[in-house]
Amino acid sequence: MALSKEDAVKRARADLAQRLGVSEDNIEEDAVESADFPDMALGAPIEDEMSAQMIASGWRIRLKSSGQSYEYRANRDQLRLYNYKGANYRL
Amino acid sequence: MNRQNFLGHLMLALALIALAAFAGQMRRWQHRSHAVLRGDRHTTIAPRRVEPTASAEVLVRFRPGTTVESMRSIAARLHDRLEDEIEAVDGLAVIEDEDGRTAEEVAAEYRSMPSLVEYAEPNFRINLDTDATAEPNHEHPDDPMFDEQWSLDNHGQNGGKTLADISAVRAWAKTTGSSEVVVAVIDSGVDYTHQDLMNNIWVRPPDVAQYTDDELGVIDDTYGFNAVSDNGDPMDQNGHGTHCAGIIGAEGGNHLGIAGVNWKVEIMPLKFIDASGSGTTKDAIKAINYVIDRKRAGVNVRIISASWGSTMYSKALEDVIREAGEEGILFIAASGNSSADADKSPHYPASYDLPNVISVAALNRQDELASFSNYGAKRVHIAAPGAEILSTWLNGDFREASGTSMATPEVAGVAALVLSAESELSMKELRERLLKSVDKLDSLSGKVSSGGRINAARAVGAE
Repeated sequence: MALSKEDAVKRARADLAQRLGVSEDNIEEDAVESADFPDMALGAPIEDEMSAQMIASGWRIRLKSSGQSYEYRANRDQLRLYNYKGANYRL
Repeated sequence: MNRQNFLGHLMLALALIALAAFAGQMRRWQHRSHAVLRGDRHTTIAPRRVEPTASAEVLVRFRPGTTVESMRSIAARLHDRLEDEIEAVDGLAVIEDEDGRTAEEVAAEYRSMPSLVEYAEPNFRINLDTDATAEPNHEHPDDPMFDEQWSLDNHGQNGGKTLADISAVRAWAKTTGSSEVVVAVIDSGVDYTHQDLMNNIWVRPPDVAQYTDDELGVIDDTYGFNAVSDNGDPMDQNGHGTHCAGIIGAEGGNHLGIAGVNWKVEIMPLKFIDASGSGTTKDAIKAINYVIDRKRAGVNVRIISASWGSTMYSKALEDVIREAGEEGILFIAASGNSSADADKSPHYPASYDLPNVISVAALNRQDELASFSNYGAKRVHIAAPGAEILSTWLNGDFREASGTSMATPEVAGVAALVLSAESELSMKELRERLLKSVDKLDSLSGKVSSGGRINAARAVGAE
């Protein structure tokens, strides 16, 4: 099923809260903006992943918790966590 | 009206009809000659058919200052005759062969004397063709969206730069492709039911056995291979592979949609990328392995188009691509969309230093390196249009997309076009031909090793 922007933000908040071991109330929505990503892995490829080299439109979701910033990337097909402790994750 | 008056009126009417007909023909001649003088690529003198003249004639331009006597003497030495000197152009003459050679042979003979001859080309007779069986007009296919395909024919539409294209229209005067050439599109599969693709989709010939893999068993690969599901259905669920396939070979001249670089070709669909646009190295290797197997089984698959990649190096992927090269398969790959110098930050498979790999950068419609495109004076070899490219999409649709993904099939398409005219070329010769046929661009100096944009017309020998 296609992911909406609102769905993506909701899932991102839940994921970050779980990773950090905090309540979702402690996750702040910093910015959600439309963005063009360099490829169909949204510029956040995971290990051993080959991605189509086509510019892909989606949303950049910036969340904050305890003063730290976190970036999620999404489009209607997928949600990814970008550069979290040096690695990308596909959710 | 008496008989004398009637005859007088009849003579007058006949004279007026003849005068009108002559005036009309004069206007048509004028229109044609003006079009030729302007070099107007959009003037339609169609449908038309181009064929060599009966006795071999060649247009030769001798170096400035060559006298008519010298021209005559050179021609006589080569058993030819100076038929006419074109006074309006210094040194230009029509040479007629007198010893039974073809126009191409005669032209080649003059071209082999560059100190005396600037250029030499066969003379062609151009016939107006009015019957229904005439060959299609190669200047402008009748595909209704063709005018939006700036990569094939950029005449400045939508703010583009005139002639910032791959010179497809001029290439089509020589060849529009061949269903004898098979191009493997390793991607998200292809919508092989798309109306603008279905006639150019490879179908396993009856004399080629079904694909058999030690682990997977026998697979009915009628339309190709799906490495994600390990079956013979490479239907696209993403759209990316269908887009790439259309750039290479959407059927041309079919009154529908767009024209591919090849109007006729065989697209072998392979799927290793899922609906979201990504796949694994392992599945990419399985897909390449399938192509090698089909080549060994007798399928004339000469090119792999690979519009995907990663910054992660895989020795196994490198090895299987090398093996494809051993089988004579050219591997054309996207340089990547990170605006990065691929010489310093490699992007695989495009960055593998293998003799069968061509790495492709993307250009925009102004002939500039696209803002997203990777580059590299050593490891990126050639550039092609890759921004706002219109092609086929899922559900019979068409849409624009950007990326080195789109530039890659432009090059793969030209490679197929070359093979349609010169099937005997080796993989090495084909690769060299593509890289030596470029239009050098200032914007690409130090950015790609060939320094230029692919030129289909030059690659197929149409100019």
